[in-house]
Amino acid sequence: MNKCIACGVCAEKCPKKVLDEYNEGLAKRKAAYLGYAQAVPPKYVIDKANCLYFLKGGKCKACEKFCPTGAVDFSQEDVERDINVGAVILASGFRPYDPSKYSAYHYTAYPNVITSMEFERILAAAGPFQGHMVRPSDHKEPQKIAWLQCVGSRDLHHCDNSYCSAVCCMYAIKEAIIAKEHSHEPLDAAIFYMDMRTPGKDFEKYYWRARDEFGVRFIRSRVHSVEPVPDSDDIAIRYLREDGQLLTEVFDLVILSVGMEVDAGLKELAKNLQIDLGEGDFVKTSSFAPVSANKEGIYVCGAFQGPKDIPQSVMEASAAAAAAAELLASARGTLAKKKPTFEEKDVSQEEPRIGVFVCHCGINIASVVDVQAVRDYAATLPFVAHVENSLFACSQDTQGLIKERIREHNLNRVVVASCTPRTHEPTFQETIKEAGLNKYLFEMANIRDQGAWVHINTPEAATQRAKDQVRMAVAKVALQPPLKEFDLPVTKAGLVVGGGVAGMEAALGLAGQGYKVFLVEKKDFLGGHARKLNHTWAGEPVAPYLEDLIKRVQGNPLIEVHLNSEVKAVKGFVGNFVTTIATEGRETDVEHGAAIIAIGGHSFKPKEYLYGENPRIMLALEMDQALREKNPLVMNAKTAVFIQCVGSREPERPYCSRVCCTHSVESALALKKINPDMDVFILYRDLRTYGLRENLYKEAREKGVIFVRFDLENKPKVEQLEDGRLKVSVIDHILGIPMHITTDILGLASAIIVKEQEKLAMLFKVPLNNDGFFLEAHMKLRPVDFATDGVFVAGLAHYPKPLDEAVAQAKAAASRAALVLSQDAIRAGGVVAEIDAEACSGCQACVGVCPFGAISYNEREDVCEVNQALCKGCGTCAANCPSECITLFGFSHKQIYTQVDEALAELEEAMEEAAGA
Amino acid sequence: MPEKEFEPKILGFFCNWCTYAGADLAGVSRLQYPPNIRVIRVMCSGTVSPHHVLRAFQKGADGVLIGGCHIGDCHYLRGNFMTIKRIRFLQDLLKFTGFEPERLHLEWISAAEGPKFVETVRNFTEKIKKLGPSRLKQVKAA
Amino acid sequence: MDKLREKVRNLLKDNKIAGYIGYIEAEGGHPLPHFFQKDRPEEVDRAIVPPGDARYPLDKLLQSLAAAYPEDTFAIQVRGCDERGLNELYKWGQLDPDKVVLVGVACPQDQADYCECPGPWASVIDYGEKCEPVLQSQRVSRIEAMAEEEAYQEWLSHFERCIKCYGCRDVCPMCFCKECSLEHPELMATGKVPPDSIFQLVRAIHMAGRCIDCGLCEEACPADIPLRVLYKKGNLLVKELFGYETGSPASGTSPWKFLGDEVTLETKPM
Repeated sequence: MNKCIACGVCAEKCPKKVLDEYNEGLAKRKAAYLGYAQAVPPKYVIDKANCLYFLKGGKCKACEKFCPTGAVDFSQEDVERDINVGAVILASGFRPYDPSKYSAYHYTAYPNVITSMEFERILAAAGPFQGHMVRPSDHKEPQKIAWLQCVGSRDLHHCDNSYCSAVCCMYAIKEAIIAKEHSHEPLDAAIFYMDMRTPGKDFEKYYWRARDEFGVRFIRSRVHSVEPVPDSDDIAIRYLREDGQLLTEVFDLVILSVGMEVDAGLKELAKNLQIDLGEGDFVKTSSFAPVSANKEGIYVCGAFQGPKDIPQSVMEASAAAAAAAELLASARGTLAKKKPTFEEKDVSQEEPRIGVFVCHCGINIASVVDVQAVRDYAATLPFVAHVENSLFACSQDTQGLIKERIREHNLNRVVVASCTPRTHEPTFQETIKEAGLNKYLFEMANIRDQGAWVHINTPEAATQRAKDQVRMAVAKVALQPPLKEFDLPVTKAGLVVGGGVAGMEAALGLAGQGYKVFLVEKKDFLGGHARKLNHTWAGEPVAPYLEDLIKRVQGNPLIEVHLNSEVKAVKGFVGNFVTTIATEGRETDVEHGAAIIAIGGHSFKPKEYLYGENPRIMLALEMDQALREKNPLVMNAKTAVFIQCVGSREPERPYCSRVCCTHSVESALALKKINPDMDVFILYRDLRTYGLRENLYKEAREKGVIFVRFDLENKPKVEQLEDGRLKVSVIDHILGIPMHITTDILGLASAIIVKEQEKLAMLFKVPLNNDGFFLEAHMKLRPVDFATDGVFVAGLAHYPKPLDEAVAQAKAAASRAALVLSQDAIRAGGVVAEIDAEACSGCQACVGVCPFGAISYNEREDVCEVNQALCKGCGTCAANCPSECITLFGFSHKQIYTQVDEALAELEEAMEEAAGA
Repeated sequence: MPEKEFEPKILGFFCNWCTYAGADLAGVSRLQYPPNIRVIRVMCSGTVSPHHVLRAFQKGADGVLIGGCHIGDCHYLRGNFMTIKRIRFLQDLLKFTGFEPERLHLEWISAAEGPKFVETVRNFTEKIKKLGPSRLKQVKAA
Repeated sequence: MDKLREKVRNLLKDNKIAGYIGYIEAEGGHPLPHFFQKDRPEEVDRAIVPPGDARYPLDKLLQSLAAAYPEDTFAIQVRGCDERGLNELYKWGQLDPDKVVLVGVACPQDQADYCECPGPWASVIDYGEKCEPVLQSQRVSRIEAMAEEEAYQEWLSHFERCIKCYGCRDVCPMCFCKECSLEHPELMATGKVPPDSIFQLVRAIHMAGRCIDCGLCEEACPADIPLRVLYKKGNLLVKELFGYETGSPASGTSPWKFLGDEVTLETKPM
């Protein structure tokens, strides 16, 4: 594997074609292949099951013959290894539902009925059709596409998956939008669905945009049949509209939005690990420990725990890491190896002496580019003191050679003309560092990936381009000063703002890893809104858990609880914060290296549906209280009505509050338990019992809870009757006529909102989204981080979420914060920006364009300053300064101008030559 | 003797994380494109200032191609928010002054979009070929 | 004029200000910029509003004064453009709005027409009366209507007259940079007249969303380059693309000073 340079010759020469599983079988690959273009490490492998050498008893060997580095070894065997570990994390994912069993949709029979996964590949630039959106049968661009939702989900007729797969609504919308963007002709995209489930952060707005801006058609219907259209490759869909009308529409392409399943192999694994699986064969966990399997030391995250999307999976991944880290805290770092350090030579006063190494990369570069000519040309460039060709610049022996040449010729800068700096720059930087040079005194000219490989048929032009890129690199590196990196100490303590479940779990997570924690709570008690919650959706009582949680927090010697307290001021940056906590007029300064914001959410108090005017009308948590206290209004009720989306999914608050559907269903079931004959109605817009929660919905229907759908345009009306009871009127969608319900109690599923978050956001320099929730660094990949290093978010302050997800996010935030705190020092510097104070006019244009809040204005000096501990080196500020007084080290204005000049210099000469000739 | 075809000189400013990587992917995939481009790797497209672009035109570039991450995918979160502001403005200003705005192009190309990278470079090169040498270069020659 | 003088007199008398930057009628009737102070109250009798062709960059004078006496408050005579300038200077951190008192002037119609001024009066008016603003610049429209090649030839002919005196920059109340990139040798060739063709474009970029359309640059230009047209267009583009109204206090932060939460602009098709 070490010898493979990912040149791809083996795949090119391999005679055996195999269906490419990465492209869902829509394209072919070779038996010698790279899993997919971005595979890390980029190493080719041989598919033993299909390789002719293995099939035909030692024949073929084409790959071995042509491999330029001798990397093919047929004798390699799978090796079994034993690894001693203290914890296991199961992150084994899911298997997409296979619709071939689903005969009604004719997936296997009709080529233009495909799964959503196949369509993903069709849309992908690196996919089977190079990103051209065509349908499989005749490669025609479809003009009408249908998505069928809930294929293999919410369905006990064709499969055993009663649960909702939680991601399909959203990905179908995404695919529809991307398809519309891809399409050259106006595309008709229709999504057939039962409930549109977009309960994630900013998902609802995306849904609205798809509908209103992109014109995606959303058709609420279960499809009746899918049939071919005679004499064409098209598909006819017959479906029943909500009003009972049966319609037929013809589509070019039908996409099945397939759900998630647990793979059979994983069930086997669970058995071997002796952990329990629950409904749908997902790993059984408690809401209070959502990433712990029921055997100590075994943790689970992602879709093996239950169907879920990327943000939730990433949160759980961090949470599982935190749980494992708590368990293994005492062993942390014991297996880590330290890198040796090297003495750095001071070359800052020397004239540049540049060594240029031009790589053949076997025949990869040399077969196209005249590498000798490039080498000889490099020798003519200013400051170049040594030039040399190498067969493989990245090989171990060439690394040794480069070090030798640096000493021999007293080189103080190095240029390697070979492949891409994205993969190999660190290798060479390490080499020159070992030779005593600052690692930034290095530059690469990419003459392979962006040279030889892309100009195969024009070797002369490729050689010319290589010379130009080398000249640019030499000119740039000549201007490169050594860059300093420095260490900043880390205060090994965390601050948690908010003493609810998320805050307490986060505090315990940090303390469990051995860090001091300051927990700040505004009220005079811990527990937050969880105190008002009866059960989790899975039926677990909340009170005993909460009591125990508070006890563990209060009894933990590492956690310092500040009640009646607020954060007053925040100074410093990652690793080195000083926060002022105000407690009833007293102020305390605490030092900490990281902070977690977990200030929670609040119920929105509606002004509609007569809320506040009648004790029979209750918000979700008030209904919980009534149930807890056995309030006669509830205990004696003959009829109960719930209205969903009160204040959510409306123009004024365009988000779904995520928990309300499940909570109302849960409360409905609790009422049915009190009195099975009670008439319980839930008036909803889309019932969003996502994931395994769907089973609750099913149970409620089985127990006779009546679900009535309404539209935003026709919201229910509530009137008070003379006897104090209530009359709720709603238009029944199936019958199309108004329906009147006289009810004893009315539950309002009101929105979840955040309060008093602006000040905190300002103090910690972190952003809020339009709905007032804290805005993470990346919706999918960094769901608990802020762009500002060292500050994290958990719980409802981030977005409405149920208890299990809040706990997972709290653990995730603790994990991310611990990553900061576990470091002895934070390495800063290198490619960062610096402001020349002499030239700065204090206009502060740089301050606002820094994505990381790394620049501040020094009022006393009237200049702006970069905090290099926060700077990530994007250079957005440097380009913004009208005076160009900001330098991004390694990419200075002067270096860029020089590269521009050098890139175009040859042109002038060539033009003059041409003119002369 | 037939007149030699005009070979434009195109300068690319590509962000390290997306477009530069997309260009690498084009190479790994052996996708071919015209050799007229010279590439300056920058960390973020947000580091390309209008000054850099204007300097390139002054120095005789026939085309300038800027490549960054798609909005939302920026390695630095929102660096490219400034890129589009600056480049859209510059394009319109160039148009007003007749300085051939079509010679400046901005494209979002991800690390996975090797084919899109190649298509962009091909089309851009083709277009610049049709346009002929830049007017600024003619000033210089005069 | 009495109203204006009375206001200045009172401001000085009540110690509301450390001084007033305005114009004085000098010997021979010439209007000159002048700094009025409490200890020379008689000078206020000669405080005037000069004719439109005798304007000076008072905002620029105020910046030097404010830098020298950061604690003091000054009054300043402002036309619509000058006030727009102050608003921008507040936004760009060059002046403190709490330390500036306005003595406002409304320009006469002929001046507004000459300037094609979209806002020819200050928010407080101590002299003159509001006239009709000019909402669309004919000078800009004329160029916009041209074919690209024609526009190019016209601009090039202007740019080639430039003698690189930096007069446009030196008179500009908005050019507050300590270091000017027009003088960076890496960006702009040195020792070359006319300068690089991009010289005016670089400056135009800097003026977009900053130029307050006072027109002093154009008046100062010995080569009669229609700089104002270029900068007017820059501001129009900033308004079109980013919804930013240069010099308006209600328009928020300059688009060049923040990233924004979302991107609505799209890349231009090739």
